[in-house]
Amino acid sequence: MDRTLANFIRALRNAEVRISTAETLDAFSCVELVGYEDRAHLKRSLSLVLPKTEDEKETFDSTFDQFFKYTDVQGERAATQSEADDGDAAEGEGGEGEGEGGEGEGGGSAEAQNRGQQTGGKKKKKSKGNAYLGEEEEEEDLGPGEMTDAQSPLGALLMQNSRVELTVAMSEAGEKVDVREIQVFTQKGLYTRRIMDEMGLAGLNREISDARDSNNVSQRRMGQELKRRREWLRDQVRDYVERQFLLHADATGKRLREELLRKVKLSNVEHRSFRLIQEIVYKMAKKLAALHSRRKKVFKRGQINIPRTLRYNMAYDGAIFDLKWKSVKIDRPKVFAICDVSGSVANYSRFMLMFLYSLEEVMPKVRSFAFSSDLAEVTDLFDRNNLEDAIAKTLRDYAGGSTDYGQAFQDFKRLCLDGIDHRTTIIILGDARNNYGDPRAEILKEMYDRCKRLIWLNPESRNSWYVGDAEMRRYSAYCHQVDECNSLMHLERVVGNLLRTVT
Amino acid sequence: MPDIAKMAESVEALKAHFEEHRYICSDQVATAVYLAFHLRKPVLVEGPPGVGKTELAKTTSEMFDLPLIRLQCYEGLDEAKAIYEWKYGKQLLYTQVLKETLDEVLQGAQGFAESVGRLHEFGDIFFSEEFLEPRPLLKALREEDGCVLLIDEVDKSDHEFESLLLEILSDYQVSIPEIGTVKATKEPPMVFLTSNNTREISDALKRRCLHLYIPFPDVDIEQRIIHARVPDIPEELRRQLVTFIQELRDLDLKKVPAISETIDWARTLLLLHTETLDPQLVRDTLNVILKFQEDIENVDSEITAITSKALKS
Repeated sequence: MDRTLANFIRALRNAEVRISTAETLDAFSCVELVGYEDRAHLKRSLSLVLPKTEDEKETFDSTFDQFFKYTDVQGERAATQSEADDGDAAEGEGGEGEGEGGEGEGGGSAEAQNRGQQTGGKKKKKSKGNAYLGEEEEEEDLGPGEMTDAQSPLGALLMQNSRVELTVAMSEAGEKVDVREIQVFTQKGLYTRRIMDEMGLAGLNREISDARDSNNVSQRRMGQELKRRREWLRDQVRDYVERQFLLHADATGKRLREELLRKVKLSNVEHRSFRLIQEIVYKMAKKLAALHSRRKKVFKRGQINIPRTLRYNMAYDGAIFDLKWKSVKIDRPKVFAICDVSGSVANYSRFMLMFLYSLEEVMPKVRSFAFSSDLAEVTDLFDRNNLEDAIAKTLRDYAGGSTDYGQAFQDFKRLCLDGIDHRTTIIILGDARNNYGDPRAEILKEMYDRCKRLIWLNPESRNSWYVGDAEMRRYSAYCHQVDECNSLMHLERVVGNLLRTVT
Repeated sequence: MPDIAKMAESVEALKAHFEEHRYICSDQVATAVYLAFHLRKPVLVEGPPGVGKTELAKTTSEMFDLPLIRLQCYEGLDEAKAIYEWKYGKQLLYTQVLKETLDEVLQGAQGFAESVGRLHEFGDIFFSEEFLEPRPLLKALREEDGCVLLIDEVDKSDHEFESLLLEILSDYQVSIPEIGTVKATKEPPMVFLTSNNTREISDALKRRCLHLYIPFPDVDIEQRIIHARVPDIPEELRRQLVTFIQELRDLDLKKVPAISETIDWARTLLLLHTETLDPQLVRDTLNVILKFQEDIENVDSEITAITSKALKS
C-alpha cells in the first residue's frame, strides 16, 4: 500500500509538483487517517497535503486521475476477461465433463473478485482452449483434450495464468532494461520489445514454432494457446510501457527541450516554442525573484526609535545612551528599459520585456520604451494588458520603420530625462545599427551621467559589433556595462547581475 | 462546551455543522478542517478575495466554541507586535524602585563578590513573565483549552516575518531568549493562515501547512450560500442573480464579483422589493457588484444579454 503512495508521489514529482520529504510523511499520515477506500475523499485529502499552489493542484488532479484510474481499468479488463472466460467455459461444457465446466465457472468468478487468484483457473483455461480451438481453421480437428505443459519459463508463466506473477515479472524486466529512462514516445516500441526479450520471448517463440511442427496433437494445442497468450502479453507490456512513459518520460522530455531552448539563439526560436519559452522565462524570473526578494534595510539617520531605545537602555539604569534609530526599507530599483523593436531585434526585445515584467515582484518600477525610429513609452500598455497582449501591441505599433538611434535618444530626452536619478538603471537592448545616421552619443552621455547604471545589451555576437553601420564603439564609451545577449541564458545572467547590483 | 472530537468525527459531520452555522462549504473545505484537526496541522487558505477565507476561521471558532485570536498581517509587522513585547514602562519603574531599595539589599555585604551574590539572590525578575506583554501568537499558545488562531493576509507581511512563524507552525512553540521556550498547552491552537496571493509564500512555510485553495463556488453552492445568508429572498430571484454573477465571472474584468458581493447584491435587491431582474435595474445596481468604473463600462453593453440569459435559467 505504501509503495503505491510512494510511486504516486514519484509520478507527481515528475509532473513538476515539488514535494518535500516532510510533505511525503504528511501524505502517509494522511492516508493512514482516511484510507484508500473512498477515492474522492482520498483525492481531496491528498490535494491538501501535496500540491501547494493553484497550478500544482491542477497537475495533481490530472495525475491522480491518471495514476489511480489505471488500476481500475486493469481491474475492469480482468473482470471482462473472466466473464468472457465464463462464457467460453460454458460453451465448452458439452465437450468437457460437467464437473469440470462448473469448476471453471467458479474459477472465473473467483478471478473476477481477486484477479490473479487461480483456483481452477487452469482447468478453466483448458476448457476455454477447446472453444477457442473450435474457431481456428487450421487445426479444427483437434477437439478437446490434454495439453502438454509448456517448457520455456515464459511459457510456463503464461500457462500458469497468474496475473500477479506476470506483472511482477514484467516490472522486473522493466527495471532491468531501465524503462524509467524512457524519454521520447518513439522509444515505446523499443522498450516493449526489450521487456519482452528480457522476459524470455526468444524461448517462447522457439517453443511455439516447435509445437506447431510437432506430431503430438496436445502439444500443438498447447502451442496455439501459447501463441494467443503471447499476443495478450504483448498488449500488457505495451500498456505497461505506455504508463511508464506517461509517468516518467513526459517531464524528462520536456526538461530536455527546455534545456535546449535556454541555449538557443532567441532569433532562431520557432513560433511554436514561444509558449514553452514563456514558461521558462517565467520560471527563471521566479527563481530570480525568490533570490532577490529580501529587502535590505538602511538606517534612517536622525530619527530615534523610542520604544527600542528605552528597551535596550533598561540595563543601563534607564539612562539613555545607546540610541536605536528608526530604519526604513530601501527603495526597489527603478529600471528603464529601452528596446529596439525593429525587425532584426524584435524577438530579443520580446523576451527581454517578458523577463522584466515577470520580475514584477522584485522590480515593480519598470518603465519601458520601444522604438524603431520614434520612441514612445509603453509602460501603460503593460499595466493595462496582460503580458502577451502588451508585447504584441508594442510590436504592432512601433516595429515599423528603419532604426534611428539618434532620433530615439532625442525622444527619450524629451520624454523623461528628468525621471532619471541616481537610483535608476537603464537597460538598452539593440544592435546599435544606425543606418549611418547621426548617433547623438552626447545624449547617451547625459543619460550615463545621471543614472546609476547604464547597461547595453547587444544581441549580435561581439565580432560584428564594430562592423558596418554599427555605432557600438561610440556608444559603449558611455555605458557602465556592455554585454552580448542572445539567449535566455544570457538574459538570465544579465538580469541576475542587475538584481544583485541594484537591490 | 461542545464535544469537538465528535463534531470532527467525519467530513460529512463537519459539513453539517458548518451549515448549521450558516457557512456553506464544499467537501474540499470540510476535508481541510477535518485533516487540520486530526493531523494537527495549520491550514494555509488561498483564493481570490471574498470567497470566505477569513470567514472559515471565524466559523470554525464559533462552531467549536473556541476563542478566536486574530493577527492581521501588514508590512512591517515584527515579533514585538506578533509574539511578545517587554513592558518597558513597567521595567523602567522597577529600576527606580530597585535603585532605592538597593542600599537595603546590599547592607552589610562584605566586598564586591558578596554584593553581586546578594544581587543574584534578589532574583532575576527583570526579564520575567511579570514584564512580558503577550501578543496574539503567544496568547494563542497560552490558551488553556485551545483556540483558533487566524493569521490573516500573511502575504502582506515581510519575508522575515514568515520565518518567525515557522517555529510556531511546526512545533506550536515560541522561543523567548530571556525566558526560554513557551510550548502550547495541552490543546495546541488550530491555525488558519489566509493569503490573497499578492506574493508567493515561501516553501518553508507552505511545507508546514495543509494547503487549501478556495475557488469561486459553483451555481449550486452559491445559491445555498445566498439562501443561508439572505433567507428572505425569493427563490426565483435568487437563481437569477446567482446565474448573472456566474456569467459575470466569465468576463474579462479587473475585479470579478466575489461571494460577498453576491450577498450584498441580494440584500440590495431585497431592499428594493425586486421580483425579477431586468436590465435597467441591473444597470442601476451594478456598482454594488463591480468596484471599478472601467468594469462597469465594459459590462454595460452586455447587460441585456446576460440578464436575459439569467432570466431563462
